[in-house]
Amino acid sequence: MAEVIEIKEEHHVHQLPTPNNGEGGESSALNISYGKTMMWYFLLSDAFTFSAFLISYATIRISQPWWPDPNVVFKSFPFMAHANVPLGFVSVMTFVLILSSVAVVRAVQEGHRMNQKGVVTWMFWGIVGGVFFLGCQAWEWNNLIHEGLRPFYNPFGPNEAGKTTLFLEKMAMSPGPVAFGALFFGITGFHGFHVFTGVCLNVYGLIGAANGTFHKRGHYEMIEKLGLYWHFVDLVWVFVFLAFYLM
Amino acid sequence: MSGHLTEEQYKSQVAAVWKSTLWLSIITVVEVVIALTLGHLIPKFILNLFFVLASVLKAFFIIAEFMHLKYEKRAFIISLGVPLIFLVWALIAFVVEGNYWLHLNFPK
Repeated sequence: MAEVIEIKEEHHVHQLPTPNNGEGGESSALNISYGKTMMWYFLLSDAFTFSAFLISYATIRISQPWWPDPNVVFKSFPFMAHANVPLGFVSVMTFVLILSSVAVVRAVQEGHRMNQKGVVTWMFWGIVGGVFFLGCQAWEWNNLIHEGLRPFYNPFGPNEAGKTTLFLEKMAMSPGPVAFGALFFGITGFHGFHVFTGVCLNVYGLIGAANGTFHKRGHYEMIEKLGLYWHFVDLVWVFVFLAFYLM
Repeated sequence: MSGHLTEEQYKSQVAAVWKSTLWLSIITVVEVVIALTLGHLIPKFILNLFFVLASVLKAFFIIAEFMHLKYEKRAFIISLGVPLIFLVWALIAFVVEGNYWLHLNFPK
């Protein structure tokens, strides 16, 4: 009798039923909660979507004899009107997104030890990072649009020496590959949409943590699920960064 | 994850996260510095191979440590990893096709 009571208490704490006899029912073969499993498989499907975009990009880029040099296209920095800082701004964005991801990991860890205040604080910093990233992206898009980049027009063309030059002042021999704009806005836009969604979800998580909803449930699994999504956004950025800015 | 952690477990997990953060930052800084300084010195193919490998390494840190996959059941990890073989195949197939278009449209 005493044993039964002990098991009941164990279930009260956030823990999956341990017996795994393969007979179905309440036990889980993978020892991971339903919600987290489904989030993982959703992210797997999302990885396929992003990969389809990035593989299209690779295919089109490799089929072109010439492609704009990212060190020339992405060289602007806010508040420094004529500065030439290749990759400077995007490095800041990358770093901010990594730190935001770390903040959410810390929130998950504080959730494991039921530290409500810790969860709230770290979720807050995670959201700040996400909003900052979105602001940076808005600035970068705005800047490139001002330079003339459109989904179906690319002003970054080759000059006589093959170096990337703005077509605007007729310095370049011709506009650049047309697909560059569509791919850039399409892929970074789709990623930005994920960041935006993630920020909204994180705000939901912050509110739930702050008003004690999760604490009353006895676990912070919601923060873990939101965290998985948020890290995935960071993960995708690694490859977007690779495709557009490094290569 | 179970609900309760001992103080040591908690501390070691926090330390692991900060270590991954440090690695991610170092790899990113090295990538950017190499892109800016050695871009014209090293053959494009080797440079790009380095960037791809560095990015895969970064992805590993994010998935294993931040998303906590390293600590899940092996069967679960396999169920997520095996479908990615299709992506590797798609990448190879499409890049080969893109290369074919290049030679078709711009014969040397």
